[in-house]
This record gives sequence, structure tokens and C-alpha cells, in this order.
Amino acid sequence: MRPLPEFKLHRPTRLSEALELMGALESVKPIAGGTDLLPLMRDRAIAVEDIVDIQELHELKGITVEDGALRIGALTTLTEVLESPLVAEIAPALREAVGHIGSVQTRNQGTLAGNLCNASPAADSAPALIVLGAQARVSSARGSWKVPVQELFAGPKMNSLGKDELVTEILIPELPSGSGAAFEKLGRRRGITLAVVNAAAYIAMDGKKCVDARIALGAIAATPIRLPEVKATCKGKELTPEAIEESSRACYALVNPVDDVRASAEYRREMACVLVKRAIVKAHARAGGGR
Amino acid sequence: MRYDRILEDLLNRDDFLVVGRSVVRTDALDKVLGRAKFTADYVPRDTAVVKVVRSPHPHALIEGIDIEPALELPGVQMVLIAADIPGENQIGYALPDQPFLNDVKTRFVGDPVALVVAADEGSAVEGADAVRVKYSPLPSVLDTVDALRDGAPLVHEGGNVALTTKIRKGDIEKGFSEAEAVVEDLYDTPYQDHMYMEPEAAYAIPEGSGKVTVIGGMQSPFLVREKVAHILGWNLNQVRIIQALTGGAFGGKDDMGPLVCAKAALAAVKTGKPASLIFDREESVAYSNKRFPARIRYKSGADKEGRITAIDVDITLECGAFANRAPFWLWRQTAHAAGPYEVHNASIDGRAVYTNKVFGGSFRGFGNVALHFAAESQVDRLAGELGMDPVELRLRNILKPGSRTTCDQLLDHSVGIEECLTKVAEASRWSSRKRKRNGSKVTGFGVSCAYHGISTSRSTPDWSAASLILNQDGSMTYRTGICELGQGAPIGHAKIVAEITGAPMESIRIEVPDTDSTPNAKPTHGSRGLMLGGTAAADAAIKLRERMVNVAADMLGCPEGEVDLRDGKASRKGEPGETIRFPELAEELYHRGVSPASYGFYAAPKRYFDPETGLGVNYSVYTFAASVVEVEVDTETGLCEVVKVWPAMDVGKAIDPLVIEGQIHGAVSQGIGFTIMEHLKLRDGVVLTPGFKDYVVPSALDTPEYAPTIIVEEPYQHSAFGAKGVGEPAIISIVPAITNAIYDAIGVRLNKLPATAEMLHAAMRGGAR
Repeated sequence: MRPLPEFKLHRPTRLSEALELMGALESVKPIAGGTDLLPLMRDRAIAVEDIVDIQELHELKGITVEDGALRIGALTTLTEVLESPLVAEIAPALREAVGHIGSVQTRNQGTLAGNLCNASPAADSAPALIVLGAQARVSSARGSWKVPVQELFAGPKMNSLGKDELVTEILIPELPSGSGAAFEKLGRRRGITLAVVNAAAYIAMDGKKCVDARIALGAIAATPIRLPEVKATCKGKELTPEAIEESSRACYALVNPVDDVRASAEYRREMACVLVKRAIVKAHARAGGGR
Repeated sequence: MRYDRILEDLLNRDDFLVVGRSVVRTDALDKVLGRAKFTADYVPRDTAVVKVVRSPHPHALIEGIDIEPALELPGVQMVLIAADIPGENQIGYALPDQPFLNDVKTRFVGDPVALVVAADEGSAVEGADAVRVKYSPLPSVLDTVDALRDGAPLVHEGGNVALTTKIRKGDIEKGFSEAEAVVEDLYDTPYQDHMYMEPEAAYAIPEGSGKVTVIGGMQSPFLVREKVAHILGWNLNQVRIIQALTGGAFGGKDDMGPLVCAKAALAAVKTGKPASLIFDREESVAYSNKRFPARIRYKSGADKEGRITAIDVDITLECGAFANRAPFWLWRQTAHAAGPYEVHNASIDGRAVYTNKVFGGSFRGFGNVALHFAAESQVDRLAGELGMDPVELRLRNILKPGSRTTCDQLLDHSVGIEECLTKVAEASRWSSRKRKRNGSKVTGFGVSCAYHGISTSRSTPDWSAASLILNQDGSMTYRTGICELGQGAPIGHAKIVAEITGAPMESIRIEVPDTDSTPNAKPTHGSRGLMLGGTAAADAAIKLRERMVNVAADMLGCPEGEVDLRDGKASRKGEPGETIRFPELAEELYHRGVSPASYGFYAAPKRYFDPETGLGVNYSVYTFAASVVEVEVDTETGLCEVVKVWPAMDVGKAIDPLVIEGQIHGAVSQGIGFTIMEHLKLRDGVVLTPGFKDYVVPSALDTPEYAPTIIVEEPYQHSAFGAKGVGEPAIISIVPAITNAIYDAIGVRLNKLPATAEMLHAAMRGGAR
């Protein structure tokens, strides 16, 4: 096995200090859990001279609720997300997604923000956060601002962050009543597996009528994608099994996946439809649909 | 002597002390706590690191090797090529077709060309990258169909067929003419990687001049010694091999042990300093031996009563770049071709074919997985054609005492397959099974039988040895060349020793195999570790026991026949009052000059076969298994999950039921992986899935529910307490049981494994019922 290349490790204890370091250093990456970064460095896919370890920035830990919205600090581990009663109550779809990430060991070590910043097209948390309308707070020495989670993804394993920028928290808005969201994944075994395709749906109902729908898919393109077209086919309709089938079938023509060692493009297209259907059915039920 | 009657005839007891009971393994705690030492744990910091320079081409002539650029790097100590080998540059197992380091041509992506010895891992990797090998690529053959074409590029001089096998029995034309139903199909099984937790590793230490010690992961220390000596051009006694606890092997390390240990040994001897070679996962998956792929054309017929009247089987085995174990593998497939059924008319042909791909090799089941996949699919299809229940058709053909095998071998005893099948059908309520549909998911049930000849194929002489010392304090030191690979065979030996000598389990220390002091037990393969090795242990224990009884009888003042040895004490039967504890007894042996050490040796009954017809006595005994499996298939995604397994096995005699259950559960997971998940993908001979990320094996989450293991005991007369091997038989029946269950669920039969979700999805689209 190739050993890790040499690098200089910095361990700031305050966020401002970390952001200054990130700004001042030329070739730098932040590390939290390291479950993605270290293998990439060992494989020479990422080469940096400096690593800023943010694990001592205790201000970035923890899950809180502010004005009904969930705030998940960037150092919150996936296990903490999975075990949080707040997440279970406010964002069950995120909980479902996080339960599918890696193994128990990876979830104990890896963070939710890291799952996004690694920018894998197959990141399980991404479709769920996208349909939930989540935002990431990005900070640098120049200030702090919010971006939709979708915009963190620039390409396969490429995030949109500047080299001096750090995601410091994930913000998930409270869902309106009469709405629900769900996550579905197809892997090659029951767990500890990369998604062949993953999908999430958000459905809002007004009585029997669908008033809003958001669909996201992962492992189907260079980044997780949204399918706004599906919203148009759902909105204003009663979501009968036939209507859901029809809306999800439309995904087939909307996606353009690739062949790789995990699956063929054709199978991914078919599975995109199946998973979107299942996610809509579950989200619809959570929205109180059909009651 | 009747080894199955030791308890009655020798020990004169009607109860077992430890045999047949599930005991906590004496090595369990160290393994759970991480204290057990594996090869890499022995390697001191700053030991030189060996890295293999490998061919990037599937087939190429070597025009030149320039090692200078590597030697110029600061950490690189030495670069070794073919010309540096003091002995013979040849390490083929069955045929001399595998150079140790290539200097003429390379035959697969990964074929070794040079060894870089460096101060550390980083320098070794850089050094390997810096060696300049000038290749002239040759046209390559990447599957057996291409390899068999006229004018195909030759992997080896002499043609792409490494060897052939055949059996001719009865008259198949007559047999097929009597058949009511005839079915014929092609069955393809792929590579499978062993994916042991511990990759291949060796650590070699030069001992002055003319001696080297190698510590490594392996399955046959004496084979490793032979190969290391051969490469070094030394005598066997100049090479000391120590088998470190091995973190999984499954056959793979039987072949890889010599290859890896010899490289470390050559580096250590040439540099005069200790050297280690530890594969990473990528090297292990891309370049180490795999389960041989096979394509089997199988035609079989059955009459109205469901009797199988004839089989006509044609087996094409893909060797990859070297024959390695192919002669033994192909012969095993040929010899087992009918499955555990009596078929009087059989014609079987086999050929092993070279290609320019990673070489095949030993793997649990050794040919019988692919063979039974074909044979047991055929049996189910015959039942379908005849409108007969698959269990019923099997029972009408099943081997019984007095039956003859595919090779016309008479089975006079220890044939428990009928009981296995009957009991497993009862336990699973086979006759009242019902398919269930739950949304898009459908369940189905499948059944399969299996048999597996224990120990080596091709009538190779088979024997084993062990030694036992009673120390002055009454403790015992036991030595066997049978390796602990996780399976627990040496613990089984210790139980046999404990049963015969009356020593407490915890007082018996099992030494690691060391060729300088351990008797040669022959390899830990072919499910022979417990059966052959354990019978040698019994022989050693019986000899020591005789002396212990003799001295104890004198001390107790009673006839020898009345001495009872148990719980570390000798007493007179029926009079437990006066006892002699083993420390006292041991002292007395030493004091009287009675040898406290014994050497056990056991030779299996002779076997033979006629090369013209393939008929004869091929294996001294067979282990039998039957499984029922319930699967659930998602008809929308094609994803198949194994829900529940009902296992049954005729083990002769269970030395430890818990160890048997461990073997079965592990084998079921490995079988599930082979059938529905594991997929080694190659492009132009390059392995595209060299790691756990994309070579998907079952995880703990994919473990099915298990019905209690049905253990059938039809003792074998020539093994200790009648025990037969279980390691390999456990995987064989599970594979066709799953595919038969998939057919039951969705009406789709995939003859090409793996039946991944995508493959099943496509097959359902093609022809769902």
C-alpha cells in the first residue's frame, strides 16, 4: 500500500484561526473525520501540503433547533445525526439517508458536512438534503453566507468551495404541515455499499391535491441532480398510484447516466424511475396523502 | 484399527469427554482481543520492504530490464531479476509453466518481472515504478473460446490446452434412449476472489549463512519449504518455515503462500537482512489466484420414474496464465460430475485452457461449486420436465450405502445424504412451502444436495503426522503441520488428544507449525485438516496413552484395562477415590525412563483410477450436504436477498458442533457472495474492481436467518471417531439452492453467475412468467 504523502498538520482551536490559516496557506484542505480525504490522499487523487484539522473547533459541533429549523454543526458525526431525536422528528428523510452511509465505523468518524464536501455524486445525504431545501453555511476570513446544498456540488469529487472556505453548518428548514419527504437507495447489498442509484422526494399536499414536489437523484450524473420536471407532473394532481407511476416513469427520459463497474446506464435509468416512485409514495404517505 | 470405534474399543467408555460437545475455542479470546499474532505483527519497524515489479500487459515479450534508475533512488537497496535466482526459476505447482520472475515473456497483467528491496514502503513503491522494462506486446487471448480457436496466440508453447480429463461409464446412447425427459444447457461460473481479511504476507530472516527463516500466511508449511528451497537452490533443511496465524485462506494461501514467502526469502538471502513482503488489498485482488472460471455444457436425461438414465458433460476450465492446480481441480469436477446420485451411463470430458488473465487456483469447494451449480440446476429442470417434486426426484437417485459414484467407486459406508435431504425437507416444511408476494417482492424456495471427496484428487498418496509431548508438569505440547486459518482444525486435534489421553483442553498447547520441529502433516486443504491431521493426532495420543496407562496401572496396582484417564487424573474405573494427577504421572514416566513423547502417523487407504476410463477409487470418503434456501426477489429492481437457510451435513462424527456451524455459516455467506454479488470485472486483462469498494462481498447485514444445523453422523471407519471434513462441502450446495430458489420465485434461471440485481432485472424483462 502506498503510504500517505507527507503534509503539515495544523490544529486550530478557534474558527477564526482556522479560517485565517485556510486563507493564508497555499495548498490546503480541511479535515474533519477524514474518512474520504485520507484514502484520496493515499491514492494521490488529492495532493496538498497543509491540512487544517478542524476537530478542535467545538463551536462546530452539535444539533440545535432555531425557529423550527435544524442547525447541524459541521463537526457533527453521521452517527450523531442518526441518533438525534431532533433529526428523527424534523427530518426523518435525512435520518434514512444517513443510515445508508458507509459502515458504523465510518459513521462514527465521518461528518454530515464532510459527506457533502467530498462531493461524491453518490453521496447519500445529498438527495435528502436537497429536497428538504437545506442550505450550507460557508465561512471564510472574508465573511459567511448561505448556499443551497445543491450548489456545493461542482462535479465528481469536486466541490464548489474556494480553498479558503469552510462549511460550518447545515441548515434544514422546518417542513410545512401537510408535507413529507423520504429517501430511497439501491445498493449491491444491504449496507456498507455505494449507491447504484439513490433518490429523495418531498411532497406537499393540500387535502387531496399535491401543491409542491421536489425530487432529487444521486449516482446518476456528475453531481446529485434535481428533477424539476417531475414537480410539474405532480403539482395540482391527486397522487394516485397511477399518477405516481406516470410521474416517476418520466425520469427515464430525464436522466443521462453512465456505464461503470457498478451498473449500466440502462439499469440506472430504470432504477431511477423505481426509486423515485418509491420515494414519492413514502413522502406522500408522510404528507398525510391518501388519508 | 477401526478409528471410528476408539471410544468403545480403546477407551472402553460409553460417554465422550469433549468430542461432540461445543466448547469455547482456546484461541478465541486472543483473537477477539487483538492479541493473536499474524504475520505483519512479527515484522519489526525498519525492516526492508519488498515490492513486486509487474507486467502491465496481458501478453508481452520482455526485451530488456533496466534496474539502474531504481537503484539510483535513495531508499532502494537492491533490485532482483530472474538472473539473480540461485536455484531454479520455476514455481509452477502441477506443471512447470510458471516462472518465478519472468525474463522472457509475461502472460498476464501482474506477472512478476523484478523485486525491489527498499528501506521503506514509499521507497519500494517508487523503486518499483522506476524499474524500466522494455516490453514488446503480443496478441493476447482473453477467454477460452478465443484460446481454443485455430491459430490463436499461444500463452504457452505446446498449445492453449493445459490438460484434458475423461470418464466413460456405461452407454450414454442407451441411457438417453430410455429417458422420458432430456435437458441440456451451458453453465458459466466466474472468478471469485478469496477476500480474506488478512492479505498475503511474509517476513524472512537470514540466519547466518545457508539458512533462512520465513514467517508467513500459508496452508502448507512443507510445500512452502520445498518451493523456497527450490528457488534458493538449497536443501530442505536450510529453510525454516513458520506459519503465523493466518487471517483467512479459503485455498488462496495454499497457492500464494509459496509465491509470497519465496520472494521475501530471496530478498532476505540476497541482501543478508530481514525483508518483508505484505500485499495491499489491490495487489491481492488484482494479482493473486482466484476461483477458476468454468463453462460446463451439461446434458442429462431421466425416465418416467425420475431415474437419471444418462449424463453427458463437457467441462472447459479457464486456467488463466498458469495451470497451477487445474489438473486437480478439473479432475475433481470430472469425478463428481453426476452429483451425489447414482447414474450408470456417463460420458464426461474436461479440458483446462490457458488465457492471458490472472491465474486461477485453490478455493473452497475446488471445482465442485461450478460442477454442482450445473448438476443441481439440471436435476431441478428434469424434475420440472417430469412434473415431479425436486426433492422426490433427488431421493429416487440419491447415493446410498452400496451405491456407485460417477467413477464407479463403491460406497460401502458413511453415506448420509439421504438422511440429510429428508431431514432438511422436513425441517423446512418443503412439501407445504408457499411462495409469498409482498408488493414488488416475491419469495421462492430452492433445494440442493452436494458431495465432496475429502482430501487430494488424482489418487495422490495421502498421509499425515503429528507429535505429542507430556511435559514434566503434566501439561502437553502438541505439534501438527495442519494450519490454523480461522477454521479451528488444530483445536479439533486438541479435542481428539484430550478425549484419548484425558488431558484437560486448557493443558494442551498447540504450537504454531514450524518445519524445523513440526511433523509434516501435508497441506491444510481438501477439507483434510481435521480428518487426516486429526487421525494422526489420535495415533500420537493412543501411543502416549498406552504408556501413561501402563505406568498408572502399576502405580494404582490394577490391570491396565481398568485405568481411567480423565480430567488430568488417572484412577481405577469405578474407584475414583485414589487418583494420580498428571504432574505426578508425568514425573513417574520421566523417572522410569518411559518416553513421554510420541509421533503419530496415519496413512489413508490406497486409491487408484484408470486414466483411460477415469473409473476407480478416487477419494477415500465423501462428505455430503443438503440445503434448502428461501430467497426474496424484488421484481422491480432484480435485487435478491437470501432470507433463510436450512443446512444439513453428514459429517461422519461432529468433533465440535459449534465449529461445524461456524464453517457452514461462513460458507453460506461466501456462497451468497459468489451467487448474487461478487463480480470481478476485467477489461483487456486488467482487473477493474480491485478492492472492497467495487468487489462486493456479503457483509454481516446480508447474513440470512439460519434454521438449526442438521448434523447427520455416518461415521467413517478410517478417521478419528469417524469424523469427515466440513470446510468445503459447506459452500457447494448453497449456490444451486439459491439459483433454484430464484427460479421458484420469478421463473427466471440464470445460467451465468453472478445473478446480480442488474442481471436478474434484465433476465426478467427478457422472459418473466
